[in-house]
Amino acid sequence: MNSVGEACTELKREYDQCFNRWFAEKFLKGESAGDPCGQLFKRYQLCVQKAIKEKDIPIEGLEFMGPSKGKGENSS
Amino acid sequence: HPWETVTTAAMQKYPNPMNPSVVGVDVLDRHVDRSGKLHSHRLLSTEWGIPSIVKSLIGTCRTKTYVQEHSVVDPVEKTMELKSSNISFTNLVSVDERLVYKPHPHEPDKTILTQEAIITVKGVSLSSYLEGLMANTISSNANKGREALEWVINRLNAEIEEFTASARGTMRNSMAAAAFVEK
Repeated sequence: MNSVGEACTELKREYDQCFNRWFAEKFLKGESAGDPCGQLFKRYQLCVQKAIKEKDIPIEGLEFMGPSKGKGENSS
Repeated sequence: HPWETVTTAAMQKYPNPMNPSVVGVDVLDRHVDRSGKLHSHRLLSTEWGIPSIVKSLIGTCRTKTYVQEHSVVDPVEKTMELKSSNISFTNLVSVDERLVYKPHPHEPDKTILTQEAIITVKGVSLSSYLEGLMANTISSNANKGREALEWVINRLNAEIEEFTASARGTMRNSMAAAAFVEK
């Protein structure tokens, strides 16, 4: 899967690999202490933020938008 | 599938053949909060196959629609909540979605998904006739979402099997004695 910034794709892949491993093997098993991916994430982040500015992507407030309604439940 | 499997797959949902329009995924922020929940803010880029003549008129930047997604995974309560909302340059239609994955209360090897979506056109919530129309699309999309995760889960399992098979081969070759757990 590519990154929004073409130059960031490789950094993203490295970070993703690290994160997916940590998520499945540590985090879901209750060991969330420690962040082996911190460095990779920082490098990847710098690249992405630059790409977002360059492409002028309008990232708004990250809260859930729209009126709240009653929800329907579907079991799957 | 058990909740852990579904959650792991959901974090790696793209690319998959059921969502060919998703062309990019980026993590904008990720952190574990004080209560141990993992928050992720992601940006998804989607490309809707606009004819190239239109692209050349309006420029390629404007043919992408972006979706921002906030997910929260609670490994203790075993819930995963996803809220997403689309951002686009035209802002004619906005779709806000909320998905919650939880283990099935009676069958531990299954996961329940609750999904809701709110569609707004130019600042007015859709109602009646249009709702019916969109509801069909949403429920077929919900099925597509399930199929997409099923595909990712199968891919992850195949990777694990491949890894196990090659590990077995290596062990046999080196004549080492080791114990491993068979799935």
